[in-house]
This record gives sequence, structure tokens and C-alpha cells, in this order.
Amino acid sequence: MNSRILTLLLLLLPCALRAGLPEEAASANAALSAGRPEEALNSYRTLLTYPQFRNAGSAELWYNRGLAETKADDPVAASLSFRRALLLDPSLVPARTELSKTLLQLGVPESRAWNDRIPASLPPETLVIAGSLIGWGGVILFLLVFFLVPARRGVIVLSLLLIILGHGAAVAGTWLDPRRTARDMAVVTAKKAPTLRATPADSADSPGTLAPGTLVAVLSRNGAWWYVSGGQRLSGWIPSQTLTPLLASRDSS
Amino acid sequence: MRDPRNRIWAGLRRGVFPIRRLGIGSLRVALVLVFGFGIVLAPRLVAAEVGVTADLTRDRINQGEMTELQIRVTGSQQADPPREIPADGLQIRLTGQSTQVQMVNFKVSSSVIYSYIVMPLRTGSFTIPGVNVTVEGRSYRTAQLSLTVEDGRNAAPPAPPAAQAQLPMPGFQRRQRTAPQRPDAGRLAFGEIICPKRSLYAGEMVPVEIRYYFDGRYPVQVLGRVDFGGEGILVERFPDPKESREERDGQTYNVLTFHSLLSAVKPGPIDIPPAKLQSQIQMPASLPGFDDPVFQQLMGGQPGFSESKELTVKTAPLHLEVLPLPKEGRPASFGGAVGQFDIDAIVSNPKPAPGDPLNLVVKIGGRGNFKAMGAPVLTGQEGWRSYPPSDKFDGTDELSHTGVKSFDFTLIAQEPKHASPGTEFSYFDPVSAKYVTLSTKPLPVNASPGGPAPSPASGASASPSPSGSPAPSVPSPRALVAQGEPLPGLTLRSWKTPAYRTEFLMASLAMLAASSALAVILYLRDLRLRGGGERTRRRRRIAELLARLESGEGDAASFYDAALEYMTLALSPSPRFEELTARLSDRRDRLKYGIGTSRPIPDQERAEILASLRELSATDHRP
Repeated sequence: MNSRILTLLLLLLPCALRAGLPEEAASANAALSAGRPEEALNSYRTLLTYPQFRNAGSAELWYNRGLAETKADDPVAASLSFRRALLLDPSLVPARTELSKTLLQLGVPESRAWNDRIPASLPPETLVIAGSLIGWGGVILFLLVFFLVPARRGVIVLSLLLIILGHGAAVAGTWLDPRRTARDMAVVTAKKAPTLRATPADSADSPGTLAPGTLVAVLSRNGAWWYVSGGQRLSGWIPSQTLTPLLASRDSS
Repeated sequence: MRDPRNRIWAGLRRGVFPIRRLGIGSLRVALVLVFGFGIVLAPRLVAAEVGVTADLTRDRINQGEMTELQIRVTGSQQADPPREIPADGLQIRLTGQSTQVQMVNFKVSSSVIYSYIVMPLRTGSFTIPGVNVTVEGRSYRTAQLSLTVEDGRNAAPPAPPAAQAQLPMPGFQRRQRTAPQRPDAGRLAFGEIICPKRSLYAGEMVPVEIRYYFDGRYPVQVLGRVDFGGEGILVERFPDPKESREERDGQTYNVLTFHSLLSAVKPGPIDIPPAKLQSQIQMPASLPGFDDPVFQQLMGGQPGFSESKELTVKTAPLHLEVLPLPKEGRPASFGGAVGQFDIDAIVSNPKPAPGDPLNLVVKIGGRGNFKAMGAPVLTGQEGWRSYPPSDKFDGTDELSHTGVKSFDFTLIAQEPKHASPGTEFSYFDPVSAKYVTLSTKPLPVNASPGGPAPSPASGASASPSPSGSPAPSVPSPRALVAQGEPLPGLTLRSWKTPAYRTEFLMASLAMLAASSALAVILYLRDLRLRGGGERTRRRRRIAELLARLESGEGDAASFYDAALEYMTLALSPSPRFEELTARLSDRRDRLKYGIGTSRPIPDQERAEILASLRELSATDHRP
């Protein structure tokens, strides 16, 4: 009896955690639709401080926040929000469209690498979960066939194929998942293009600047200076306050 | 009928006008900048205040030089500037546009700059009239500008940097170890100008070669640059000269050869003054008392003193006949290109996402006046929204006479499109004295407009497409939300990939444990069906044999068989074991192959054998 109550509580916990969230999100959406982006933006910011979003996120919420930031003439912040929405749901077409527009506006080239495009049509999370299910199904089939079926060569080959394909898909999904490398990615959120430095010092030589909205890979951290790579062989030290980590679990404000 | 694309690629294969590898990254940056500034900012800046200004990059130039007129349109991306600006004594032609975006106090503002090249037809002071620019249906006028064109030949040539001025040309300071001679000043240096054509069309680029000969016996320093130009002609910047030695009339000369291109901007006869070059020659000098042969012998055969002599080396004047471009048969798509060209077009992203731009890159390759060349004209652009192209030139020679100029058109589909617009480009071929029109065919693309997706209930998506292609899939509810509208609902997703999440690891471990448990269960089941393991089966057999030996059932031969099997299974080999085995085997064989096979074993014999076995078992430690 006690176990049944515990199970019921566990099932209801997510609902309890989300209580009130949809209403507040709908209110913020209404403000955004009514042409009050600043008000909507404040609501989204407040929503994202809720404990539910400490280790999780909502692609819809980040997309809507990006829209509000776009309408509030803050394309740099909007680019970060759209990137985060796509991080959570790479198949979210509106976010991809808005991100393209924002990057065009900022003059930042959009990545067209194949490993960035595949997740848009083949969600990595689906690949991982479905692949795992197929792989483990192959394991169980193999065991059953090995011990129970007398004439079993063809079925054993089939089960081995399922194991290889299933778990291979799970590994591929993990590898393709943009969240895997997002821990070391950041977006240039300074309003003015920050200058890269060859060494972590303001007086060091400058190999170039990074346009606001650029996605960079953080290769090393040295106090207030981060060593980043902005692609096209452009890398250098940059003040960390000019960057915002791509993962919102570290910075959800 | 030849395909222009085949022609240009054939040309590329032959290396006639090889394209340098484009930096794709920089190309994309340029495309993104142009497109982004041209499209994304446009709706947002509709309400911004519109301003139109004009400015000259230089308002005082020398004859033969050009300057740039920039018309800046702020607050809108939809301006319609004129392609040419009429001004007396000047030729002003639109060459391209660029976009600038500024962010001040979190406010984004953009401006489009239309660049015009200003070519003076003569010297003097000019007034560039105000230019009417139509912006979003309203007409704006810029202020008048003044331009002064001076006669560069009268003006003092720009003084070269001191260090540079003192540096001799490479190889031009070598002293010839010859006996001193009094030079003939008339043949110390002279110049030649070589122009393969004396009759050319306005706008046609003609190569010109200028050679300066210096007496090879004396070191020479070149001061300043070549002064060459005249009213009504444009001369490209002279690259570094080539140095050589040449013998003429028995005299060795050091030769400096300059290559450049000239073009005329107005028809009619033109007399170009001589091309001049300031130089300084170190000549031997004689002082009283020092021109003694003995003294010169002491100096290694060289004169003891030298003097510098400045010379202005001149070529002969050049007379050209400039022909006007014929008005007859001039195509509508002619934009001032004179030369020989080929055309090619590619679409860099033939399947853009709905609402995303498509980039049509038209490449004009060949030989001619690339700087004054206008962009190709789009054909069949119904259903497309297009923006003025950005351009980039990749020259294959140092004078930029040959190369490839790429025009990048940014296009946005206003309706579902399966083919890009075509392009048309016209140029005047001075060799055949005819206008030539090149065109590219529409290229296959798959583009659709952005905005709200059609409703699943609408006929467009409910009925099959006319071409028989499969009907588009029903969009998800999220795709039905209008563009720019917030998405309803909240779906919580982790920031971690499943492989890094605890629940996934737990589930995987659970699956591993379940599979292991299943394997164990199935193995045990299989074991049970096979009567257990080998040890169990051996023990069970030993027990059966012992019971059989003790009961004495069966005939004597089978008793001995059982005893021998018992020994094999239950006892370890030893001398006594071998002895007993041999005895039992012998007895069994005699029973089997002799008389009395079927009779039971006598009790006494059975008891003796059992006792021997027990005795042997007592000393045996086999498990």
C-alpha cells in the first residue's frame, strides 16, 4: 500500500513542479503578442529563475525569450536565446529560422557543418533512446535464441545486428548531440566586438576581433581571461565578461 | 549554340582565367552581412528616420585620377539611386553598394552606401549636382558637391620618403669598372612608350608599356614615380617595374619596364604627353689636379670623384583615337563592360529553409574593364525578392585586367519556387566591335517563403500536388504558429545529453543487470535440462554403480563392467588401482568370452571385490 502511494507521489511530482508555469508562460506570451516585449522579457527572465530550470530548460521558453529580445532590439541576447532553444530541441524550425535572421543581422556566419545540420532532422535524443532500446532488445533476443531456439544461426545473426546497430545509433546520437560539447561553448554577448589578444593582457597583440553573437569554443580559462577559438583559425584570449556560456544551467538569468 | 557555363569552365581548365580559391568563410561572411543588413533589418527600420547624404572621398584630385562619390541612405534599405549621375565634365557611374550597421545605446541603425566612381574628363572645378534618391516611395535630394581636378603635371610630384628616395633601384647602383669617359648627355637616358593600339573604344582597357633606358656604365637612382596621364584618359597604377639590360647601338643600357593599362573616357582624338621619370645619375667628375692617369690608376681605374646629375627621362607623346561605343544595338542589360567575357552562375544553397535567402552567384570571367563593369541583370524573377548584389573581384594578373568578378545576389522566395531566376550580362567586344549578350539559365532550387505554414485543412495541403509529387506532410502544431509569434506550451528538457544523465545510466545498468539475470536463468535452466554439470553427473553415476555392485543384480560380466567403470570414475590411478583393474579386467574378459557369462556372480566373489574397492576408496582422495 505504501509503495503505491509513493509511486503516485512520484508520478505527480513533475505536475506539481510545473504548477503555475504554463499560466505564467502564457501570460508572457500574451504580452509579447500584444507588442510589449520588455514586459514579456521580464516575465521570461523571472520564469527562468524557477528551480525547475536549474538543470533543465524549455526550448519554447528560450525561443519566446529570443523573440522578445529581438523585438526589444537586442539581437545579441536573442542569438544566445535561439541557440539555447536549439540546444534543447534541434528540430525546432522557428528557432533555427530566427537564429539565421539574427545572425544575418549581426553579420555572423552561420555554421553549415553537416554535424550541425543532422540534429535538425534526426533528433539526437530520439536516436540515443531508440538506439538503446533496439540494442538492449537485441541483447535479450540473442540470449533467448541462444538458449532456447535449436536452429538459431540466422536469428542470432539478426540479434547481433540489432545490438550493433542499436547501440551504434545510441553512440552516434550522443556524439551528434550539441549538448555534449555545449559545456565548452560560449557566445560573445558584448555589445561591442571584443578584441582577441595573443596573451591574456590588454596590451598584447591582437589577432582580430569577434563579432557579437559569435559562437566560440572555450579552450582554456585563466581567471578573467578565456582562450577561445572563433573558427577560421581565429583564436586568442578574451575577457570572460564579454562571453556567456551556452549552457543556461550555469547562467539562467 | 554554346553553353556559357561550358565556356567559362573550359576556360578555367585551360587556365585562361583561373579562379583563385575563394575563401568560403569570407564569402559567407560577406553574404551573411549583405543579406542580414539588407533583409533582416529592413522591417525593423521602416519606422526609422530616413536620411540621404552624399560625400566625396576626395574633393581635390589630379588629372588622370578618380575619386569616389558615396551616397549614404540611413533608415531604410529600399532606396533607388540612379545608375549614372549627369555632371558636366565628369562621368559618374554606380559601381556597387555596401551596408553598415551601428549599435549605439542598444539601438541598431543601418545605412546603405551607394558607391559611384567619378572620372574627370578634363581639369578644372566641377559641381556635382544634388542627386535625387527615391526611398520607399519618397524622393530625397542630396546637397551639391564640389570637385577640383588639377593638372598633375604642373603640380609638384609627391616627394618620395627620404629613405626611399635615397635607395637606388636594385641593380642600378652597380659601378662599371671601366675607364672614365665623358658621357654623351644626349644618350645617357631615354624613354619609349609602346601601345599596341592607337585606336580604341571608350572604356576599353589597352595595355601600355613604358621603358626607360639608362646608360649601363653609371649608377642610377630613380626619384618619384612615373608621371603619365592626360585629359580624358585613365591610367591604372603602375606596379613595380621589371629590370633588364639591353644593348642598343653598341651601348649597354639598364632598362626599367613599366606595364599598365589605360582607357579613355570620352571619344575623340587624345594626345597624351610624354611619360616622365625623375632620376639621378652618378657621373664621373674631374677636378683640377685629380684627372691625372696615375691618380686614376691608384683609384683602380675609376675616376676619383663623381657628381650627381638629375634627369627627367621622357618618352615620346602618344596619340590615340578614341571611338565611341555604338548606340545601335546596345542591349538593355549593358552596364559598361568592354572586353571579352564569359559567364557562369551557381546557387550556393539550393535548398534553403523556408523563408531563408538563396544566394545566386554569377561569375563573370575574362579580360576587360572589371572596375567599371555593372552587375548582370536578373531575368524571370517573378516571385522572388532580390537585393542589389555584392561583388568581389579576383584578378589573375597584377593589373587586374584578367580575372573573375563574382556578383552575389540575395534572393528570397515569395512563393514556392523550383528554379532560380536567370541572369543576363552584356558587354561590348572591341575586337568584333559588337555587343554580346550572355545569359545563364534558371537553376534548380527548392525554396519556399517563410511566414505561417498553410493550414492542414487548406486545399493546398489536402490535395495532391499537380506534379504528382507526394503531398507535403502535415506540419506540427509548432510549425503552424505564425512567424514571430511565441510558441505555446512548455516542454522541460535536460541540458545534458542522455548518455550523461543519471536516469539513462541507471536504466542502462538496469538493462545490463536484467540481461545478466536472464542469461543466468537461461543457463541454469539449460543445465537442469541437461542433468546438471559434469561433476554432478559423475557423482550420480558413481552412486548408481555402487548401488548396483552392492545389490549384485545382473550377470557376472556386467558386474565386472560396473566395477571397472566405478574405479575409472571414483578412484585415482595408483599401483593398487592398476593391479585391481588388471585383475578385474582379466576376470571380466574370461567371463565375457568364456563359459558362464550369464550366470550371476557368487556372493563371496562379489563381497571380495567390494571389499577391495572399499579398501582402495579409503586410501583414495579423489574428489
